[in-house]
Amino acid sequence: MARPRASTETDLFERGVSVRLSNVDAGYGASTVLMGLDFEARAGEVNFITGPAAAGKTTFTHHLRLALPPRSGRSVILGLDVGRARARDIADVKRRIGYVAENPVFIEQWSTFDNVAMPLRMLGHKPRDYDHDVRELVDFVGLGGASELPVEKLSGAERRRAAIARALAAKPDLILADDPTAGMSPVDGRRIVRLLAEMRRVGASVVIASQDDTLTDVAPMWVWRIDRGRLSAPEQTEATGAEAYE
Amino acid sequence: MKNPFVGMERSLFWTLAFAAFAAAAAGLAARAVDRVAVGYEQARSNYAIVRVLAPDGPAGMAAAEAALAGAPHVTSAAPMTAGRAAALLGEASGETIDPATVPDLRLIEIELEATAPHVDVSGDIVAAMAAGGVTAEVIQAPDNASGGGLAPRVRNAAFWGALIFTAMMAVIVWLAARGLAARRREMVTVMCDLGATRGQTAGRIADEAAVLGLYSGAIGAAFAAVAGLIVMLLVIPGATLNSVVGMILPVDLVPVVATPLGAAIAAGAGARAAAGAFHAQAARIG
Repeated sequence: MARPRASTETDLFERGVSVRLSNVDAGYGASTVLMGLDFEARAGEVNFITGPAAAGKTTFTHHLRLALPPRSGRSVILGLDVGRARARDIADVKRRIGYVAENPVFIEQWSTFDNVAMPLRMLGHKPRDYDHDVRELVDFVGLGGASELPVEKLSGAERRRAAIARALAAKPDLILADDPTAGMSPVDGRRIVRLLAEMRRVGASVVIASQDDTLTDVAPMWVWRIDRGRLSAPEQTEATGAEAYE
Repeated sequence: MKNPFVGMERSLFWTLAFAAFAAAAAGLAARAVDRVAVGYEQARSNYAIVRVLAPDGPAGMAAAEAALAGAPHVTSAAPMTAGRAAALLGEASGETIDPATVPDLRLIEIELEATAPHVDVSGDIVAAMAAGGVTAEVIQAPDNASGGGLAPRVRNAAFWGALIFTAMMAVIVWLAARGLAARRREMVTVMCDLGATRGQTAGRIADEAAVLGLYSGAIGAAFAAVAGLIVMLLVIPGATLNSVVGMILPVDLVPVVATPLGAAIAAGAGARAAAGAFHAQAARIG
């Protein structure tokens, strides 16, 4: 099914376009990893980027989380033209992005609760305002029993769940997850992707990068294949797994 | 919320405290040298010797004492005894001088009040003694232009030495605080990923370092103050805690008060610079 496109690139965010990349190149040092990318993600949709190892999935998420600027082409993310943005504008937009890294970084000595609450603290919320919501979120990702444990005590899968909870805490407009199921059992992996995909229901745009293309039937989503830094045209899928009937 | 200071870098804390101790001790030592030099300079410039030339004999010395009692600038006068002369000569030469071998010196030691530099103290005293029928000469310590005045040079050396040493300690604190920022790198990365600006991230780390610098600086300065008191008790003959405390002027405490503030500023600045650099690295990986 052909994907509808917004007619212009102005006011994209107001018209539901969270991300639009037009002929974007990006890379590190002398090497260009992403080449001629055209991509669009809309509010309330899930986009799944899949491809072999070293295809450029992680670099793609780095670009979307504003850590890797475009070398050419145009990137408009949450209404910000990234190539021309000032550092302060980039920081403002980053606060509206929930990012789940392949190897999430935490403040290791802090508790799971405190780490998950960090985005809300940075937005200036008081603990009494977010305490209930954060505890609910920590329970929701299955870490209720580890809420007060320092993150350094968590297992790899638990760290990933904590990263997801942190990414969702501030109710972001764009959720990025880089290989969120790595090291998990297939059941847990599907559960995590389903959890992320559920965020589309509250209007977030969800972008998941993973090598595991068996996850594309967890929820309705646009599936993009990436290989050697180039994206193919997206295909739309429906939820056909057991989750579709729950 | 877990206190981020719990289990924090004790080694870093004591590194900063030691640097602060050294800086405060250098400041206190410079201040002590300054006070000793000022005291020496005052004693030197407030002292003179009158040599009675005429009339001869005990009558001449008596007339000279009487004239000095009413002479301007003189606060006290006492003839130099053979014993006193032998003691002074012994101090200067390092040998024991028998007072019996000291000839009749016809010298009177006088203490002078503080005067302005342009006042001719010797001339006024000689004139006053002449009015009393005594011919005398006044021997004063050489002034700065005549090769005297070592004290100002000592004071300058102490001041600049302490300042340079303190600056070196500040650099140590600055570098150590960069280490704190390195240990907080995960926090820098997290804050950067969550949308903190460089200023917010650097400010957060700098605040932590400044508090650490303040506390460690206070501890170091307190140790330096205690060490200073102990040294004074050991060095000053017959000193007691009360007498030593009574000798301390408010200005003497400047190094103790300034050290925690200086340590906080140096630590905050070091951590801010490092955290800013780490934030820039985390913000743009390409």
